[in-house]
This record gives sequence, structure tokens and C-alpha cells, in this order.
Amino acid sequence: MTDPELIEGILRRDRNAFQYLVEKYQARIIKTACYFVGNMEDAEDLSQEIFLDIIRSMKSFRRSSSLSTWIYRITVNRSLNLVKKHQRRGIFMRLESVFKTPSGNGGERSAEPCITQNDIDHHEKRELLNAAIRRLPENQRIAFVLSKYDDQSYKQIAEIMKIRLPAVESLIHRARKNLQKDLVPYFSEYQKK
Amino acid sequence: MDCSQFKSGILAFREHALPEAQATPASEHLASCAACRNLMSEFDQLDELIERDKAATPNPFAGTRILQRIENELGTSRERTAVRWSRILTPVVMVIALLFGLFIGTNKARNDSRITGSVAVSSENVAFLRTNLLISEFADEDKILVLNK
Repeated sequence: MTDPELIEGILRRDRNAFQYLVEKYQARIIKTACYFVGNMEDAEDLSQEIFLDIIRSMKSFRRSSSLSTWIYRITVNRSLNLVKKHQRRGIFMRLESVFKTPSGNGGERSAEPCITQNDIDHHEKRELLNAAIRRLPENQRIAFVLSKYDDQSYKQIAEIMKIRLPAVESLIHRARKNLQKDLVPYFSEYQKK
Repeated sequence: MDCSQFKSGILAFREHALPEAQATPASEHLASCAACRNLMSEFDQLDELIERDKAATPNPFAGTRILQRIENELGTSRERTAVRWSRILTPVVMVIALLFGLFIGTNKARNDSRITGSVAVSSENVAFLRTNLLISEFADEDKILVLNK
């Protein structure tokens, strides 16, 4: 099925077109969403909303970019909205925790018997990396994630973000600098332990 | 190149994004500095984590769930047509059933009132009664009319 056929099918609310759309894009959408929201379960739930969004707003697709670019754009926007929602919820939860007494059980992770020191190190590093990426300004984060995790070319990133190619290069360069600033001191400390 | 200079360009160095003029001294520094090699290995591990994240595959049933959700929320064209027709036909069928019920009800009431005699008996019926049932001394038109009242 070509892209124009797929678009026509979706506009007709054709079941085969829906199926083809899901088969073609589900893995990419879920994975891209996962890179932004940080876990697969949320990404899978979010992907349902993204597909509904794609189908509902297909009428407004002006075909100025390719269908896949447009789908990526929706995925990134939706994912960032979810992240912002979680951040807002996080602020409330932190406020709530201020008024709660600590449980004092030493954390959840150590309670799991199968986790080795190596896993903890990996977990810590993953958390560190995710936190550093989350701290990046939004545009830098989008560009970095699409480039590093999603293996999108700078040209594709420029189309998805609706910016010029040099701007993408600049965003990724600044993202790299910021990540370095965050991560290098941590690793220097880590080596001293 | 010293350690701080190396650290300031470490990510670009790793991604081969440093200009040649900086990349060569960085490589030389790395070969001679154990601390920076350790730092590089930490970033290697981060890259491994990223690669592991990239290799993660979604739940195999995710697609089915997505399609189910789409059908629940939007329906396909055939289903939507069926729903649209059912929305039109259901009240029409209800109204027809109601009218039919009313028709049957009023007809039955009319028939019942005929049996109790409130409706005038036609001359054919009078003749029938006279010849078949009331052939005896009661076969008299006045009595039949009394019955009709």
C-alpha cells in the first residue's frame, strides 16, 4: 500500500488501512515514545493515543512533508506532552512526600534478591543518563534523542522539528556539551569511589 | 592536550565529530592518560545502555491492542454505517410496532363491542338468526331488536 493509498484508506475509515498503518508504524512509534517517556509500558499506552491522533487529524495532513515525518512529529509532540504531565504530577508528589514520614526500609531496589551490584551500577548509570537527557532544553532533547536513539539523519530531524539543518547541528552540539557538563563530573567522582 | 581539554570534547571525540586538528591530539592524550581512558570506558557503558534501550522490543500484543482501541473509538466504515442505520431504523421500527399494537388493540375492542351487542345487527344477520337459530316462537324481529339494544 502506498502512502497516498494509505491516507485515502484512513480517511475512508477502512479497516485494512488501519491495520496497515499499525503494522507499519507501531514499532517505530512505540520505541520513539519510549525514548522520550522513559519506559515501554507508558510508551505502549501512549502509542494508542498517537494512532488515534493520526487517524483523527489525517484530514489536516497537508502533504507538505512525508507521511512518516508527520507521524514522527505527532509522536514527539504527544510524548513530550506526557512527559510534561508526569513532571507536573512529580512536583505534586514531591510536595506530598515533604509531609510524609520516611519509611526507612532502605529503598525498593535492594529488596529484590536477583539484582547484582553490576545491575545496580547499570541502573544508576541509566538513571543518570536519563536524568541528564531530561534536563536538556526541549529542542536539544528532541534533536539528541532522535539522532542518538532513533538514528534519524540530521535532515530528517530538521523536517520533523521544522527547522533548518544548521539549527539541528547546533542543537545536537549544545546537547552534547550540556550532557558532558552533567556526566563528566559524575564519572570523575565515580572513579574515585 | 590536557585532561580538561579532552573532557570538554569527549562526546564529540567519541562520535568522530571533532575536527582533525583536535582529534589527533585527543587520541594521543587518550593513549597516554589512564584517567581519561577510564572516563571513556564509562561513556562506553552509557553507549551500551543506549544500544540496549534501542534493542528493546515492544510487547507483541501491542499492535492488537492498538487496533482494538481504534475500532472501539472510531469503528470502521462498515460498522459506522451499520451504527448509523441502526440509529435511524430502531425508532422507525419502534413506531411501527407501536402503531401496529394500537391497530390490533382498537380492532379487538371493536370486535368485542359487536359481540356484546352495542353495534347494530345488519339485516343479513337478522335473517340468519331468524332462519337458523330463532326459527321457533322467538323468531320475531322485535325480540331480536331488543337483543340488539
